[in-house]
Amino acid sequence: MVNIVVCVKAVPDPSFSDKLKIDPVTKSLPRLDIPLVINPLDSRALEAALQIKNKYGAHITILSMGPPPAGNIVRECLALGADKGILLTDPAFAGADAFATAYTLAKAIEKNGAVDVVFCGMASSDGATEWVGPEIATFLNMPVITMVREIVDDQGDEWIVKADYEHGYRMVKLKLPAVITVTRDLNHPKPLSFSGIIKARSKEISEWDHEKLEIPVERVGLKGSPTKVTEMTRLENRRNVKMIEGSLQEKVERLVQILSNAGVV
Amino acid sequence: MSTDNTAVFVIAEQMVGGIQPISLQLLGKARLLADELGTTVGAVLLGQNLTNDVHKLIAAGADLVLQADSESLVPYQSELYTEIIVKLMVEHRPEILLIGSTFIGRELAPLIAARLETGLTAHCIELVIGGEGALEQRIPAYGGMITIVCPEKRPQMATVANGVFPTPVLNPARLGEVISIQVPKNLPQRVQTLEIIREKLEGISLETASVVVAGGAGAGDQEGWDQIEELAGILNAGFGSTRPAVDAGWTELETMIGQSGRMVNPDVYIGVGLSGELQHMVGILGAKIMIAINKDAKASVFEKVDYGVVEDCRVFVPALVERLKNKESTTGKVTHVI
Amino acid sequence: MIDFTFSEEQNLFRKAAREFAETEIAPHVAMMEETGRDWDPVIKALCNAEMMAITIPEAYGGLGLGYVARLIALEEIARVSVATAMMMQVGGLGIEAIVKYGTEEQKKKYLPKLANGGSFSTEAVTEPSGGSDPKGCGTSYKKVNGSYVINGRKCFITNSHIADVLVVMAISEDTPDTFSTFIVEKDMDGFKATHEEKKVGMRGCNTGELELKDCMVPAENLVGKEGKGLSVAMATISDVGRGGMVGCALGLHQACLDASKKFANERILYGKPISNLQAIQFKIADMKIELEAGRLLGYRAAAIQDKGERSGNEFAVAKYFTTEAAQRAAKHAVDIHGGYGCMEEYDVTRYLRDAYVLGPSAGTSDIMKVIVARWVLS
Repeated sequence: MVNIVVCVKAVPDPSFSDKLKIDPVTKSLPRLDIPLVINPLDSRALEAALQIKNKYGAHITILSMGPPPAGNIVRECLALGADKGILLTDPAFAGADAFATAYTLAKAIEKNGAVDVVFCGMASSDGATEWVGPEIATFLNMPVITMVREIVDDQGDEWIVKADYEHGYRMVKLKLPAVITVTRDLNHPKPLSFSGIIKARSKEISEWDHEKLEIPVERVGLKGSPTKVTEMTRLENRRNVKMIEGSLQEKVERLVQILSNAGVV
Repeated sequence: MSTDNTAVFVIAEQMVGGIQPISLQLLGKARLLADELGTTVGAVLLGQNLTNDVHKLIAAGADLVLQADSESLVPYQSELYTEIIVKLMVEHRPEILLIGSTFIGRELAPLIAARLETGLTAHCIELVIGGEGALEQRIPAYGGMITIVCPEKRPQMATVANGVFPTPVLNPARLGEVISIQVPKNLPQRVQTLEIIREKLEGISLETASVVVAGGAGAGDQEGWDQIEELAGILNAGFGSTRPAVDAGWTELETMIGQSGRMVNPDVYIGVGLSGELQHMVGILGAKIMIAINKDAKASVFEKVDYGVVEDCRVFVPALVERLKNKESTTGKVTHVI
Repeated sequence: MIDFTFSEEQNLFRKAAREFAETEIAPHVAMMEETGRDWDPVIKALCNAEMMAITIPEAYGGLGLGYVARLIALEEIARVSVATAMMMQVGGLGIEAIVKYGTEEQKKKYLPKLANGGSFSTEAVTEPSGGSDPKGCGTSYKKVNGSYVINGRKCFITNSHIADVLVVMAISEDTPDTFSTFIVEKDMDGFKATHEEKKVGMRGCNTGELELKDCMVPAENLVGKEGKGLSVAMATISDVGRGGMVGCALGLHQACLDASKKFANERILYGKPISNLQAIQFKIADMKIELEAGRLLGYRAAAIQDKGERSGNEFAVAKYFTTEAAQRAAKHAVDIHGGYGCMEEYDVTRYLRDAYVLGPSAGTSDIMKVIVARWVLS
């Protein structure tokens, strides 16, 4: 039985990302009711775990750090086929940068018990540092391979994977236990099913805070973050546009003229 | 050489036939930061057959190069590289450590930061020395710019993408110290790069292209996308994308221009069938002339460009391509002045 | 205290149904519109996604979820394709007859296949002689040597050519005013799906005629008690049938609202999007207000049904309101689109045509009012 942890982040639906903008007056992010979804790359991570489960049998634990509404996302992951969920939720976790987030997640993985593979999406759609996977690996003293696009050999405890690389990819041998971060090319997540949602009723979601993890409050959240945001400004990159008018051919002509003047054609 | 907490370090990256352009760009920036702080620039280079590369790093602004030259360092191995670099950082205790946002850099930087228990900022587009000598790291986010600092932990680490900072003028006469580093042997390797496989090479590099064409959701389908690609071809332009085009499967993630993608700095930028989402627009660091084609008169891209055409790109682009083809045949040659 | 919020699980059902509709149903809509047929891909998709198993008890291979879950699924599917939702809902009607009135043997024989998509069902009541007047039913049955022989014609039957399990109501040839309901299987001798209708709306939803000519049905295929067939038919239609129409109407109504919002925000007149104009805003407000009201009526009725109580009256109110409101919403949507509202490439033209087919399905609006008046006056 393979023990898998999948780290999942609840993020604002990326299709609404244009609405989430810094308010130029308050210089902060407004509170908007953008629905939360599973970070798209984490769906790939979960699907990778489910494929291992289908092939060899596995126990999949979903781990997510977030405010209480993130619990819905954990429930959705259970409906997709994971076995158990842990929601790390605590006001003290708020304001965590990638370092503090990775530290908290790593401590939870430790507390959860033996693990063979930790799957993470390679980046979140709303933070996109790509740091959390490798930092978790460091805190757990595990090897990590990022940007995995294909798992070539997943038998036993020595895997072969393909990871994105400059102008191509690299073939990598990986000894478990290990952290694997995945790209969108890895797989196509299977959709939610009604029977999966029914099965999720009997699956457990635990809520852990920093005390349960036995970590001091100074090491989590804003306090535990080596980096701090000091300022938010709105980018004003407006230009005075001249709209090109006329019939289709007239517009084409005018544009060709502009490109010609610019030395492009 | 001073080993106190004052140097600005760059992790340079070797590539086939030389040094990654980003490493030279970072050395140029490191030089400016170090001059402002009154300190020195160090570079770390791991790889094989490094002699020429080391001189280039010094010519670009490094005062000190710590080099590890060994066949065990090619190809990149994360644990070995991390071990060597962490040890050097503990020994030299720099104020600032910069790493290029390359495939290696994106994996290596957090491994180093976690070991050093310090802060790390990704995809910076501006680095400024602020009050009390702290490094202000600016990243685009949420339609604006966020400034991040690492007040206590050292080194202050940042990754930067290719093309954000200019390539410095190389001064071959510059002098610097070179120290060779011992490569640990018999380090347990739990993750091992077996082989590097090159797939297709990009035609025109986006970062250096003087004309960039970017396509978005307005392409509609693969056919519409191919039309925009044809336009880029005729203009000898770099061809990039926005996230919706990548999600639709018309192009690879590697072509995406934007906040977490590629950065471009062309003379002329043409955005085709894209809405002008800020995540994409911040990838355009500067352009003399910006043009947009979009069927939606309300698209926000029209507030950010110099010339706008309200037209369905699936209609306009073929017409434009046709016209350019005719021009080509009448003038005999497409000339392209940079 | 009444809680008007959906549970976390119900929200997940909605999410699953929406994703299903958008990825598995949407790609086939254009073809169904064009040919008025080509329903095979969506029927297959419905079966694969367990949509037909929603109201089948777990003991027979179903999901054992209730009617609120069914309404959620129908609403989300109708938002993408009313034709598909209609076929799903009438399939559910045939299922209901067996679940509520079937013998243990019948349940064991038919429900597992209906749950896993091996079979598809329908209920056939309407005839040329009457739908609003079911007693005018001309299809008759006669008991012959322990079996039943059925003769007659059914029309306007959804899933006429798809279904292999059909619940058919017929009048006794021997005893006046006596009705019975039977499970007829497609390959039985004397049964034939004949004419396929070409409808102006809900195109791609299979509607057609059935012909029974000395069709011999074994005794064990009688559904419910002999002579009690009208109650079987009416009971299933009054909540499951009407409830299904509510799902179709709500989904269509939401689609009209979504299309109107998109167009109003993009269409520039007088230098601004037309969503800035009060006339447009008022139409949108009307659509929204009626949709909110319709949702409450529909889910209230379904919740009563889930409690095991009779909900036919509440569903009559909901069916009347939501189908009439959907027709108004479709007209508003077309009006908001101006000239574009007449062009087939704009979905609102389909919404308008789909909307008025909602009216006579599972009981006309006039019949709904008769039922509601009876509810008050009795």
